This record gives sequence, structure tokens and C-alpha cells, in this order.
Amino acid sequence: MPEPLKKKGLDGQSYTRPPEIEAWITRLEDFDVSDRLTQFEILTKRSRDYVPSEVLIYFLRRSWASGARSEFDAIFRALALRVERSLLFTISDARMAGALAIREDISGRFFECIAKDCTGRAGLLDFFEIRFDKAFAAIRTSALRQIGPSAANTVPIGTDDGDGLEISDEVEHAASDFLSGDPSKLDDPAFRLELTAAIDTLPSDQKRVMELLRQGFQIDSKDNNVMTIARILQCDERTVRNRRDRACKVLKAVLQQEDVL
Amino acid sequence: MTANTPDKPDEESVLLAFSVEPQHDRETLARYLREYPEHTNALIDCTLELRMDAVRVDAADMSAVNADAVVDKARQRFQALLTEPGGVSVSNPFGKLNRAGYKSLASKLYISNLLLIRLRDRAIDAASIPARFVDGLAAELGASAEAVMDYLRSPPAIVSGQSFRSSVKPKVGDQMSFAQAIETSQLSPEQQNALKALMVE
Repeated sequence: MPEPLKKKGLDGQSYTRPPEIEAWITRLEDFDVSDRLTQFEILTKRSRDYVPSEVLIYFLRRSWASGARSEFDAIFRALALRVERSLLFTISDARMAGALAIREDISGRFFECIAKDCTGRAGLLDFFEIRFDKAFAAIRTSALRQIGPSAANTVPIGTDDGDGLEISDEVEHAASDFLSGDPSKLDDPAFRLELTAAIDTLPSDQKRVMELLRQGFQIDSKDNNVMTIARILQCDERTVRNRRDRACKVLKAVLQQEDVL
Repeated sequence: MTANTPDKPDEESVLLAFSVEPQHDRETLARYLREYPEHTNALIDCTLELRMDAVRVDAADMSAVNADAVVDKARQRFQALLTEPGGVSVSNPFGKLNRAGYKSLASKLYISNLLLIRLRDRAIDAASIPARFVDGLAAELGASAEAVMDYLRSPPAIVSGQSFRSSVKPKVGDQMSFAQAIETSQLSPEQQNALKALMVE
């Protein structure tokens, strides 16, 4: 029976691992250590024997707590390689300038989480036992906000969207065309990939407006109880529309170039 | 990572809690935005990063990766954090800074965030950092130049050799010179020139 997690959520309840992770742990507990470690070495998720990283975190912590140092070393090695692999495609050299240094910073943050856990200073590793990839996306986000390209370029091109600045008819039409496009396209994984990748290239302020629109938030409302994009971003609704329209113009051009519109 | 208090969790802790939610839909995002308005931009950025993950195709090529080098570097970093007396950020003059503080400090020093992070992580050989730069950094951090220099001089990572087996001899973690850092830290030409000028004074 795996040891319960200690971290508590917003509702005061202790976090729990997904049932499939608990099942993996229970199954692997019956394995010889050497067999388990051999299975941990598999890096490709497509492999049938690939063990979820959440499970590796569980056994890493357990080996540290029990003083099984050689087991800890082997799991640490497997995790380091998984992290490297993950970062190579999420923070690829093609995605952004200075990718190598950013990858190093992110992996450093992850190892800091492990070090803190080993010395009883924080329970952040619980999150990695619940949903490893998503927790890793969280520390990646935080690192990118500090040292990513958008943080390095303090004034990205195209972010001049002061309240008084009027948007051109051309941009407004482009946005309208884009947003009124065929909604069934969003069901197409190839289109979703292209669209998401294209949004990722936008300046941060435009990116956030597009993400909130995709989440279904409305731009503005007379009802003060409604959480609108203007209220979330604490700016005028005209600023939100300007950001949206500029983003749509860029997205339309990019997606037409990619031939997916 | 920045300091955390029971009342005000830092950005990374909030994002980690958000990331493990079963759904990242409007309702969940709105709940977190209400609870942590100070982390609004971070939460939206995280939503987008999670969305990227959902559509990204894993095409990583590890063939060119030196696995031993990757693992050794990871171990050095881990071991340094583990053996640092008194905790990860207690003796760190950068420890009180939050994200806005980092940005503000980088701006005041006219350097990139990346160069600042490298200084914090002691990834730069302290002996190569111009004294005037250290003075400016110390003044902005509200610390003495000696205290900042002591921090910058302490090793970035040391492998004890007891906890890990390695084919590579344990060594102090790789550091770069200040000149190398200037070239590779996403600095504008003007920022680079300003820093190079400090080196010849």
C-alpha cells in the first residue's frame, strides 16, 4: 500500500494520486529492485513497459527515506534523462533563443525541488507524484516568465496598445474573419497544434487575451459580478479588443502561410 | 524559487497546485484567479503552456545527448543544494527577491534576467566579475559588497563522491567567465558594451 501524500489542496483535503499511479506503485513494489530499475530506464512513452514518472518520484523518495542510496542514484539518473528529453522538445532550440540556458534553469528548479524534499524543507514533490508532466509544465512556466524570451525582450514588437490607440479597419476585418472561421477546425488536431504554436509566438499580452478567449471568457460586461477579460487583465475593454485584433491578424497570416486555414 | 509564506504562496507553488487540477477549464482558472489575483498572468501563461503540452508531439532526439554529462550535471546541482548549510536560499542575497524584484533589479543594473539568474546560481566565475559591477549589485541588493562577493565565490556545485557513483571525477560545477556570460545571456549590444566597459576600467 503506497504511503499517502501529505500536501493539502485549497479545500484542505490531502492530495491523492490518480488510481492508475497507485496501481503502478502497488505492482512494482512486488518487483526485485534491479528489475524495477531496469524498467525505469525506459525513456520512450510509446514503449509498453514505460513507467510513469510519477511512480519514479514515489520510489525516489522512498529510497532516500530508507537510505537505499544506490537505488536512489539509479532513479535519479533515470529522472535526469527524462527531464532532459522533455526539455529538448518543449524548450527546443527552434522554439526560442537561448534555449540551452533556459533548459538548464528549469532542470535546476526541478532538482531543487528534490533537494528540498530530501532535507524535509518542502513538499513540492507531491505534485510530481500526482501529475508529473503538468507539474513540470508549471515550473517551466515560472522559469520562462523569469528568463524566457518574452522576459528578455521587455518591449516586444506590436504591444503598443494604449487605450487611445485606434485599430485599423484592416486589422479589425482580419480579426473578424479569423474568429468567425469554421469552428469545426478546432476538432482537427493538426489545426489545434498549428494554432497553439502560432499563439505561442505572440507577445505575452496578446497571447493572454487569446488564451482567455479560448477559455470562453467574455471581453466585457456591464454586470460587475462577471469575471471578464478586461477585469482579469485590469485594462480597458478597448485595450483587450486591440490586443485580440492584432493577434488575430498575425495568426491569420501565420496559419495561411502554414496552409491550414 | 522565491520565499514562501503560509499566507501568500509564491508563484511556483500556486502554479504547481493549479497544474495538478483534473481540469484546466474556465471554471478552474477563474477559481484560481479569484484566489490568487497577484498571480493572474502566471496562471494564464501556465494554462497556455499546458495547452501546448496537450498538442505537442514528442519528437525529442536523444541520440546527440551525452547521457553521463547530463546526469553528472544534475547530480552536481542536486548535491550542492543538498549540502548547502542552512537551506537553499537562507544565505542567498537574492533569496528575498520575487519575480517582479528580479525584473526590477535586472532593469536597474541594465542587464538581462538571464544574466541575473546566472549570477544568482553562481554560474559565473566570481574572480572574473568586475568589482564595480559587484558594488552596484550589492547596493541594489541592500548588502555589503563583501557579503555578495562571498556568496558569488562559493562553489556552484560540489560532488561529494559518496552519494553518487560517476565515471567522471567529481569537480566543481562548470562556471563561465563574466566575458562569456556577457556574450551568451540575451543582452542587447548596448548592454554588452556597457558591461565590457566595466571590465577594462
